[in-house]
Amino acid sequence: MNGLSYPDVTTYAVPFFIGLILLELAWIVRKQRKNGYGGRYEMRDALTSLIMGAGSVIAGILLGFITYGFLMFLWRLTPLDLGTSVWVIALCFVLDDLRYYWVHRFGHRIRWVWASHVNHHSSQHYNLTTALRQTWTGTFTFMMIVRAPLILLGFHPAIVLFCGGMNLVYQFWIHTEAITRLPRWFESVMNTPSHHRVHHGRNPRYLDANYAGVFIIWDKMFGTFVPELDSEKPDYGLVHNIGTFNPLRVAFHEWVGIFKDVTQRGLTWRERLLYCFAPPGYSHDGSRDTSEAIKKKHLARHPEDADTVGFKDCGL
Amino acid sequence: MPLEILGPMVVVGIVGIALLLRYLGLAEPFQLTGEHTRTAWLREIPDDVPKQILIASNRENALLKLASGKLGLVHVMGADTMARYLTDATWQHADTALTLKLDDFAAPHFTIALAPQEQAKWASLRDAP
Ligand SMILES: [Zn+2]
Ligand SMILES: [Zn+2]
Repeated sequence: MNGLSYPDVTTYAVPFFIGLILLELAWIVRKQRKNGYGGRYEMRDALTSLIMGAGSVIAGILLGFITYGFLMFLWRLTPLDLGTSVWVIALCFVLDDLRYYWVHRFGHRIRWVWASHVNHHSSQHYNLTTALRQTWTGTFTFMMIVRAPLILLGFHPAIVLFCGGMNLVYQFWIHTEAITRLPRWFESVMNTPSHHRVHHGRNPRYLDANYAGVFIIWDKMFGTFVPELDSEKPDYGLVHNIGTFNPLRVAFHEWVGIFKDVTQRGLTWRERLLYCFAPPGYSHDGSRDTSEAIKKKHLARHPEDADTVGFKDCGL
Repeated sequence: MPLEILGPMVVVGIVGIALLLRYLGLAEPFQLTGEHTRTAWLREIPDDVPKQILIASNRENALLKLASGKLGLVHVMGADTMARYLTDATWQHADTALTLKLDDFAAPHFTIALAPQEQAKWASLRDAP
């Protein structure tokens, strides 16, 4: 069963992506004429996001063989084969979403992985084009390792990659401000625009929250769920926003940052390693802030927020 | 999907959406006022309060003197802003523009349209104690 192949769902979804972007834009323009609000688009920001999306597909075509080769290598090792029934694909989809949760969580907590993921958060907008602002350098994070258990359990690499593609396609539509809240049962199980807006927020309250891909239950299970508060609108973007729309700079800036930090003079080897693998914001001299430090400083300025959502167990 | 279809669709989609946004007037840069500049700075660096603010005449850049004594820049990024310290920036003066170069791959240089007398004002805020 080595020649198994499934459609590459992310590329087949492209016409739907374009259509939905036009629809969201039309909705925003109409709503803005009426009451001045309803989400935002800006040309250069959207253009950069779209080019990042196209570049990410090209990077996948150029580098995809590395991940695929690694997964096929594992497939030849494992004696297990769960086959291709619908139930196996459904189970794979759920387990792959758990895989996504952890890869995404590592993506925010390990600078090496953040260097790839940061560009998805580098827009200060939150619209459907933001969904397409995808990394070009995911292969270099080696996060395909997190897929290994699925293959070794007997899910064929083609099924695992198909489920990963479906996961990304699902996440497209949640990058919008056009949808406020969905029915309560849906919000409690699924990742939604509201939950993912929190994930894109740079507000101290919303940092390091809601890593879910499709099912929000993982955040609730692993303690990273923060609900969107009507009293605090997410402020989208990075803690320190970038000053460029150049896609090459967007794609590589954090890798360059790691290189500059690691090659500084006078560091110990431990410090050099920490610059690669500690959480973003680590510095050997304390000159930068991690998300914990940002939350603590926020609580020092706003003690009234202590123990409210997003600030649990990060006492002064 | 075959590349002969995907490629042109992506290119037409990207160019089309960009042109549409321009046509809709969604390419106009944000215009800074004093209060915006202050908020834009504190949004990124909340523990160093601006003491003095000089806004460029095109309202897309502002030079700040901060409580710490350091210099800062607020720069308009499309409909939004970003803020950076200018501690190690190099200043290159030309007839109608000032270029600030930073050692930052994600915010490498800013060319700011400034008349000579405005540039002199910026330089004197920079050199003020
Ligand atoms: Zn993320
Ligand atoms: Zn996202």
